[in-house]
Amino acid sequence: MSTKKKRSPPTENSSWVVIATDSIVDVPKTATGEPTFVKLRNPSTGSASLYLFGSGDSDLYEVKAFTEDYHSWFIGQTVQRDGRLLYITQMDPLYLLLPYLLKAGAEGKFQPVEQVVKDEDFPGCTRLLSCTRSLKSLHHVADEKEVGSLKFHRVSQEKTLDWLKKKVERTVSTLRKSNISVGGGVKSSTFIRVKQEEQASDEDYLRYAHGLVSEYISEDLRKDLLKHLQLPELSSPKQEPPAKKRKLSDLPVEAKDDYTKLNSSDFTRKPPKKMTAAQKSLAKVDKTGMKSLSAFFSPKVKQEKH
Amino acid sequence: MDLGPFEADNTVSCRLASAIPDICKTDDCCLGIDEAGRGPVLGPMVYGICFCPVSKKDELKALKVADSKTLTEEQRESLFVNLDEAKSFVGWALQVISPNTISTSMLQRMKYNLNALSHDAAIGLVQFALDSGVQLKEVFVDTVGPAEKYQDKLSQRFPGIEVTVRPKADSLFPIVSAASICAKVARDHAVKGWKFLEDLGKVDTEYGSGYPGDPKTKSWLLNYLDPVFGYPQFVRFSWSTAQTLLDSNAVPVHWDDDEEDGEKSAARQNNTSMLSYFNRTSSQANGDQSSGRDAHRFFTERRLQNISSL
Repeated sequence: MSTKKKRSPPTENSSWVVIATDSIVDVPKTATGEPTFVKLRNPSTGSASLYLFGSGDSDLYEVKAFTEDYHSWFIGQTVQRDGRLLYITQMDPLYLLLPYLLKAGAEGKFQPVEQVVKDEDFPGCTRLLSCTRSLKSLHHVADEKEVGSLKFHRVSQEKTLDWLKKKVERTVSTLRKSNISVGGGVKSSTFIRVKQEEQASDEDYLRYAHGLVSEYISEDLRKDLLKHLQLPELSSPKQEPPAKKRKLSDLPVEAKDDYTKLNSSDFTRKPPKKMTAAQKSLAKVDKTGMKSLSAFFSPKVKQEKH
Repeated sequence: MDLGPFEADNTVSCRLASAIPDICKTDDCCLGIDEAGRGPVLGPMVYGICFCPVSKKDELKALKVADSKTLTEEQRESLFVNLDEAKSFVGWALQVISPNTISTSMLQRMKYNLNALSHDAAIGLVQFALDSGVQLKEVFVDTVGPAEKYQDKLSQRFPGIEVTVRPKADSLFPIVSAASICAKVARDHAVKGWKFLEDLGKVDTEYGSGYPGDPKTKSWLLNYLDPVFGYPQFVRFSWSTAQTLLDSNAVPVHWDDDEEDGEKSAARQNNTSMLSYFNRTSSQANGDQSSGRDAHRFFTERRLQNISSL
């Protein structure tokens, strides 16, 4: 059983196992274009993540993968080596637009969004503006100006935080409804609790929801939102004092609590024990020319070079 | 011998038994235990008990039962018929342990080895005889593992019964020989008439003796090796012969209780060493959370990740 099985690197899959909302699949025949997977900049990490545009780019969905070691699928008459389960769930495109708006907002000017939402690395980002919700919801995070038929926007920090606060509050109410354990301590959703869990406090819910929303915003925004929600930043554990070093001194070390001193009157050294037969026979051995065992551990005396 | 109940479902163990002779319920009885098919990589292992009144030992001898290994298949068959016909004073019972049971027992997370499986089968059969009202006084067993230990185990389990565990008991005590014949006949029938649950088409039945050393058995194993599923349930997966062939010919399969070097597997699973919890310089204390922030626990607890490609 000691044979080690080498794991070959995962190969590309020809199929995936997906759980998706009906709205992606039930595309009306009149619809324009198929649903497509697109790589976009993840607003939280700044790196690439996979998203899906619904038919005609009207809706945005995020793709999350359930991945755990030692899972595989049996699909019909085939085996798929990765036991991955993809979840495609709807998401608010404003989360993905926000980093672009914030970046442009630093200039403090009103600009047309088409000019702002541009990304060399992720050209697909312009499609975010086609989503039905996108243009309608811009006013949640930005001030608007209309000049003729043209619309100009400028991101507002205050509006953004208010909008995110609403998101957090909504998340709290969903968390309460779906009975998700938000309290401190390590708990697993896979264990069924016999006892009804202690009522989690409002702050526990608020913090948990804030953490969830933070998965969709930048780190700076996460901190600002925490202040906006009037939640103190969780203090990181205090800097512990450096480990005590044992004092090195030539003086003999004396134990602090040496109880033997208390009864020193009746504490006398025991006479050496009688030797066993084996020890006696060993003692008789001719030890001339033999090194003591401790000699092997003492530092070597450097021999002078000749 | 009617193996019907086993053939109806050969994935699990099955008990077959004769009627209990009335005399066995009133007179002191002796009982023999033996097994057949311990070594083969193919087919079931069969445990057999045979019992008769102590006073009828000579009549049992008259049936000329002998160690099943010294007999030809035909001789065994006819001896079994004789035994079965002596139902006025001889009773028997069998525990047919399917190859699937052997595989799953030995390969499960809490390993259940073949000796334990054998001992439990033997104990189960003795208990069955007791439960059926057989007046047991003496039990004779052909040994599995060290004889003394086994004898102590059985004596403790059945106080009041004189237990004798002996190597080669099947040639020393006629009642054990009788049990060995019952077990061997059942095993032969089960192997010959094996009904494959798998859809294999017409199966080549030239699998030889079923012992790992038999070249016929080995080539049969190679022939019926499926790269994904391995073998039909007829094969004991826990045998090293079967495993070696799987290792070299089948797709590697990883289980989360695979034995691996502790440290390496921990690294692969991204497990944190226990020691790191005592380390003072944790990343949190240094405040470098911003770089490589951990996903929220809602996602980590559910093993959900963002992905960048399909």
